[in-house]
Amino acid sequence: MAALRLNPSLGTPLYVQVVEHLKHSIATGAIKAGEQLPSVRKMAEDLLINPNTVVRAYRDLESEGIVELRHGSGVFVRESVSARTDLMKKAEPIIRAAVDRLETLDLDEEDIRRLMENELAVRRTARQARKRRA
Amino acid sequence: MRDPVAAVTGLSRTFGSKKALNDVTLAVSRGCVFGLVGENGAGKSTLIKHLLGLWRAETGSVHVFGLDPVSEPTAVLGRIGYLSEQPDLPGWMRVDELLRYMQAFYPRWDSAYAGQLLEQFGLDLDSRVKTLSKGQRARLGLIAAEAHRPDLLILDEPSSGLDPIVRRDILEAIIRTVTDEGRTVIFSSHLLDEVERVSDHLAMLHKGTLKLCAPLDDVKAQHRRILLRFNEPRRDPPSVSGAIHVAGSGREWTVICDAARLHASAMAQNLGATIVDDCPASLDEIFVAHAALN
Repeated sequence: MAALRLNPSLGTPLYVQVVEHLKHSIATGAIKAGEQLPSVRKMAEDLLINPNTVVRAYRDLESEGIVELRHGSGVFVRESVSARTDLMKKAEPIIRAAVDRLETLDLDEEDIRRLMENELAVRRTARQARKRRA
Repeated sequence: MRDPVAAVTGLSRTFGSKKALNDVTLAVSRGCVFGLVGENGAGKSTLIKHLLGLWRAETGSVHVFGLDPVSEPTAVLGRIGYLSEQPDLPGWMRVDELLRYMQAFYPRWDSAYAGQLLEQFGLDLDSRVKTLSKGQRARLGLIAAEAHRPDLLILDEPSSGLDPIVRRDILEAIIRTVTDEGRTVIFSSHLLDEVERVSDHLAMLHKGTLKLCAPLDDVKAQHRRILLRFNEPRRDPPSVSGAIHVAGSGREWTVICDAARLHASAMAQNLGATIVDDCPASLDEIFVAHAALN
């Protein structure tokens, strides 16, 4: 948590900065599923921010289904969040290998992006067509 | 609002021809951090001196804990912790003597807590107050203000001229105070970053007049900064109704406005400009905009 640097002089409200940071930490696995987040008091003192700002950030994460508030015991990262994080982790090497191969064909970033979007669009259209037939 | 901890109504104060406070009305609710911002000479300290009962209201009224701080100083001051920019501590005393002396004034003085802070701050009990550095003196002032666990902690520009580590100690003290249920902090500063970090409520004084007084989240949500670009350079600022402040030069102009009162794309279209950026304004920008507004 020590790495979290808030910048009040940005226009972005502090609670949004806290939410973004925690989401990032959860997505990268720095904070794991089932793990308890620091208490409001601890977090406020560590980050030097008003405790209500921490409460608001935790509530936002709760309404997005990322954490759950267990009464009397604290705030925990939901287990379901980890499934997603794990999947993203599994997907990373697949996409890396694919991009490596595409680059050997001398395709640049823009080409690769266009190919990827094109492929996704084709699949989307096919899916919609199947749905219409059904 | 539940009984406010402090309530000021129609307070004015003049020094010679200068209006130090001009019809100020505000209330500080229990359990909040009330951030008071303004340039030097804006009236922040004058307001705080009225809350402490050091000055009697010439016009208007001041109540703290529902009492008049001038006529009932002991009942009020016994529940207040106060730290100013230049803590007025007797230089000839040793640290331990000063703390014993303070303890005598406050029945609720918490020696264990004072001891814990002394250790955390690395203050030596045998040092004479006058030999302490500015930072250590501020820390000692903080212990004196905090160790009786006051219902209301008033910090008047406590961070001025202090290094970041001491400033951190002061902000931590503010957070400690409000996380204890029901205790309230009034924090005056010209360092907007610090005020924004810790405050729930923001009051802005400019030349004795209260320009803003609202929950900090509302202040932030209300103000937007819109950057406009014009096809041709302009010599005069575009006239934008509903804008609080317009500044810039040439083809680029920045508008600080109330988000609810101004429709950005309609404004840009009317002016024949394009919106380059539209984002929440920083406290600094809001402050400058209101200070420029007369």
